[in-house]
Amino acid sequence: MIGLTTVKGSTQNNRRMISRTAIAAMLLSALTAGAAAAADFDADATITIGSLYEPQNLDNTAGAGQGINEAFNNNVYEGLFRLADSGNVEPVLAKDFKVSEDGLTYTFTLQPGVKFHSGDALTSKDVKFSIERVTSAESKSSRKNSLKVIAGIETPDDATVVIKLSSRSISLPYNLSYVWIINDTATNLTATEDGTGPYELADWRRGSSLALTRFDDYWGQKPSNGDVVFQYFTEATALNNALLTGSVDIITSVQSPDSLVQFKDNVDFTVAEGKSTTKLLLAYNDRVAPFDNVKVRKALARAIDDAKLLKAVWGDYGSLIGSMVPPTDPWFIDLTKTDAYDVESAKALLKEAGYPDGFSFTIDTPNYDPHPIVAQFLQTELAKIGVKVTINVITANEWYSKVYKAHDFQATLQEHVNHRDIVFYGNPDFYWGYNNPKVVDLIKQAEASTTTEEQTNRLKDANTIIAEDAASNWLYLYPQIVVSAKSVTGYPLNGLNAQFFAGGIRKAD
Amino acid sequence: MPVIFSYLFRRLAILLVSIVVAAAILFVLLRLLPGDPANALVSVGADPEQIEAARRQVGSDLPLSEQFFRFIFSLARFDLGASFVSHTPVLPEIGKRLTVTVPLTLMAFVLAIAIALPLGIVAAVKSNRWYGSLISVVSQLGIAVPVFWIGILLVTVFAVNLRLFPSGGFPPRGWARPDAAFDALVLPVITIAIVMSASLIRYVRSATQDVLGSDYLRTARALGASFPEALIRHGIRNASVPVISILGMELASTLLGAVVVERVFSLPGLGSMLLLGIEQRDYPNVQGVLFISTLLVLFLGFFADLAQRLIDPRLRDRSGGVAR
Amino acid sequence: MSDTVTIIASTSGRKRRSLTFTIGAFLVGLHIIVGLMTLIWTPFDPGAMSGERLEAASLLHLAGTDRLGRDLFSLIMIGSRIALIVGTGAIVIGGLIGITIGLLAAFASKTLDDVLAAGLDILIAFPTLLLAMLIVASSDGSSLWTAIFAIGIANSAIVARLTRILAKRVLSMDYITASRISGTSWMGVVAIHILPNIWPTLLVNLALQFGLAVIAEASLSYLGLGAPPPNASWGRLLQEAQGTVYTAPLGAIAPGIALVSLVIGINLLADGLRDLADPTRRSRK
Repeated sequence: MIGLTTVKGSTQNNRRMISRTAIAAMLLSALTAGAAAAADFDADATITIGSLYEPQNLDNTAGAGQGINEAFNNNVYEGLFRLADSGNVEPVLAKDFKVSEDGLTYTFTLQPGVKFHSGDALTSKDVKFSIERVTSAESKSSRKNSLKVIAGIETPDDATVVIKLSSRSISLPYNLSYVWIINDTATNLTATEDGTGPYELADWRRGSSLALTRFDDYWGQKPSNGDVVFQYFTEATALNNALLTGSVDIITSVQSPDSLVQFKDNVDFTVAEGKSTTKLLLAYNDRVAPFDNVKVRKALARAIDDAKLLKAVWGDYGSLIGSMVPPTDPWFIDLTKTDAYDVESAKALLKEAGYPDGFSFTIDTPNYDPHPIVAQFLQTELAKIGVKVTINVITANEWYSKVYKAHDFQATLQEHVNHRDIVFYGNPDFYWGYNNPKVVDLIKQAEASTTTEEQTNRLKDANTIIAEDAASNWLYLYPQIVVSAKSVTGYPLNGLNAQFFAGGIRKAD
Repeated sequence: MPVIFSYLFRRLAILLVSIVVAAAILFVLLRLLPGDPANALVSVGADPEQIEAARRQVGSDLPLSEQFFRFIFSLARFDLGASFVSHTPVLPEIGKRLTVTVPLTLMAFVLAIAIALPLGIVAAVKSNRWYGSLISVVSQLGIAVPVFWIGILLVTVFAVNLRLFPSGGFPPRGWARPDAAFDALVLPVITIAIVMSASLIRYVRSATQDVLGSDYLRTARALGASFPEALIRHGIRNASVPVISILGMELASTLLGAVVVERVFSLPGLGSMLLLGIEQRDYPNVQGVLFISTLLVLFLGFFADLAQRLIDPRLRDRSGGVAR
Repeated sequence: MSDTVTIIASTSGRKRRSLTFTIGAFLVGLHIIVGLMTLIWTPFDPGAMSGERLEAASLLHLAGTDRLGRDLFSLIMIGSRIALIVGTGAIVIGGLIGITIGLLAAFASKTLDDVLAAGLDILIAFPTLLLAMLIVASSDGSSLWTAIFAIGIANSAIVARLTRILAKRVLSMDYITASRISGTSWMGVVAIHILPNIWPTLLVNLALQFGLAVIAEASLSYLGLGAPPPNASWGRLLQEAQGTVYTAPLGAIAPGIALVSLVIGINLLADGLRDLADPTRRSRK
């Protein structure tokens, strides 16, 4: 899932021309992962990155899945902006931008001298083309909805793009960070690419690996390595073994704490913990009884010992959350005290709600780790307050048909990966069917805010309300753990929105 | 040999009918899977409009009958279509996958035969010695162990602890680096060979036993042939008839049965394509793999039958397969 | 499929054979006893988090605990029961379907027989696991019974083919022709001549299918398609323990040993049964 920190500090232009001390200093200042071990590095090294998330195709508007963000965001394609590993939105291909007084007109000036991998120069037409791909009728992009506010795109000259909005959208730059800028003459984007990033696609072997190689005409800072290979595994243990045996250099996101034992006490490896945005949810269908009753939802929240669950699944890693917002978002507030673990009050609430003897329900459980084990934990925990849980195991595909589309479920387990996804609680048609007009309104207003302060305050309010309503049961926040061979440094730690910027990775000689 | 030809024709006709029936069954079976291929293309956050777009794209919004006719028509042109999810044409992708699965299977197969043939014969001939029995016992063990478990244990010992071979994955450029590709297949090959040789040993042993108890062997010995000579000249030929038919079956089922091994070792073979295809309801991929494998299985069975007939004169004028 | 250490049967050979039979009976008996026992008693409540996360083996927790702190030994014991249900269910289903189809083919016209035989050949060529996978995937929501049905149906082709061959062999005998001329109906032929003649071989084959079914369920579980929780099938225990193989290796080994012991037991028993059932083999020198 997700990782995000980038390596922005590493900006030296020319490998080896800088003294070793300077490199060491930069490494330190860069706050990058493995810290300052490597004094010298191989500028043509091949970095092999092990991951569990193979892209399904190469086009993020054609349902490529989260794997494509990991491999391509800011490696192969760049946007006008990017979500940096720090969580800040930074300009990339947009050199500069101005917003009109009413917040409805954005004028972007493009970086000069940018070339696509095919050799064409970047122009404003490419930007228009790229944004319209995302908003088109056939687009499956997860940002299509948030970009619906775009009323028109104009290209007065080759270096200027003007975007007109139908209403204020304070997160436009953030949403634009999801939009890859693609050459408007490119075709067959599901199997090839034509971006502006520091790497171009060398080879894609489905079911196995995706190889990128340095693009020599890159406009920005050159990568500190020669090639990047994403090697894909279907199974977490196999991935760990691959790092242990040296067939990969880095694991983007470790999925079990038990494998870490071998890396932690081993001088050949670096274990680094970043910040994650992945939340595990027990999501109820808030439309149907008994989950349309706030008291029932609150009772269930109190009956489950989240700390014990986290310990079971993640050992000493990960953290507890009281709502949908992780600590990395500006509108985070600590809500873990709301409906904290308390079996007695859970029983009392259940009685108040009219279920003194409990009830039974089914959890639709995706068939991959950690969902089945979590479901079993919930089964045992809820038995204590007389609630009987049936576990129905389904595949990810069935989950979309049954739960997501048809809303044919009572409760389900699901990991929610994305940054800023509290907005889903503002959509009463979303699968969990949470409908509180106050929250809907707050989330709408937040987007129309004129200042980030305003936005933050409104989202904080929304956040507090959903926690009070126990809209869903937020079980825990995943840890984000990156492990690498000692010789490899300079990789992003947090992996926000599943990105993994490879340009700054160095491998010691 | 006209008898052989008429047999050949009948077999071919059955083969063709089987292929068509198999294709139809395949189609129906796949459409029974709950879920929708379009689901693989959307993510959490997609609105109903986007889901509809995905359904239009993969054609799952069409009536079943229309989907079926499209499928049969393209099949007749030997066009297996393109994956719903990755949009890559199925046939070339299968070709690519076979560069992993075929070497994997063949190497495992050869290794298994190399182990099973001598051991099976020894187990039969020397069944009264301790090592004969030991072989039987070990082969019992071999067929009782799930293949994924052997894989996991081998990885733990030989890859993680001894660092002799990679634990999984396949080199990005495949056989362009033959040494790396070969290394990647060592443990998977051994895993399959263990299971396969265990059952082969038992077939070879029982086939040999049947020969040993046969009259012609006794006759040959009475006519003055030494025991090894009689065994080699008469025994092997006769014992090989049932074994060949079994080998054909084993080869076919290993090609397809590598699913689990490919999962354990994260190999980009046919099996992993199929497994992922089923998970994603990627009908073109699943149909493609199963259809090609059916063809393969049918032809292998066909050739195994033919080979048997050529080896065993008693079978030349009879039809029907030989009991397993 | 399997067979015995027969043939040059010396006295010592026969003794060894009865030894393997005894071992087989012992192993299977053990699993049956344990499986029945779990209906009334296990050392710990298998659902209860009775210990800490991933405890090592101790006198209290003989096989340690899993990630949720549940007693693995209790879970493995329940695994015996589930494996026995899986094996029995699969061979009953596979046997009923397979024998019916096999007999049908044996009595059918030449063309129908050819088609059925070819169809069976194709089905058999597909690994049981693959068929079971497709069947499980196409059923709504997985359950223990879905897995059992899938495996049973997948195995039925093998039974059908064997039945067909054995039945045809019997049918080709002169006395059958005689019996049919004298007016015995085909049902009668099946009941009087075929079944009594073929059941020993079938039984041995079904016993082997039992072991294969247990392995198939474990593999399905490994792929995430087997019996869903909270069924403590050994395959699922193995799959859940795979991620913790370095910190708690016992969890990834003990269920496997239990599984192998049951399957070996069944196979040895099948070998023994074959000797009992096949007098020609027994007496052959």
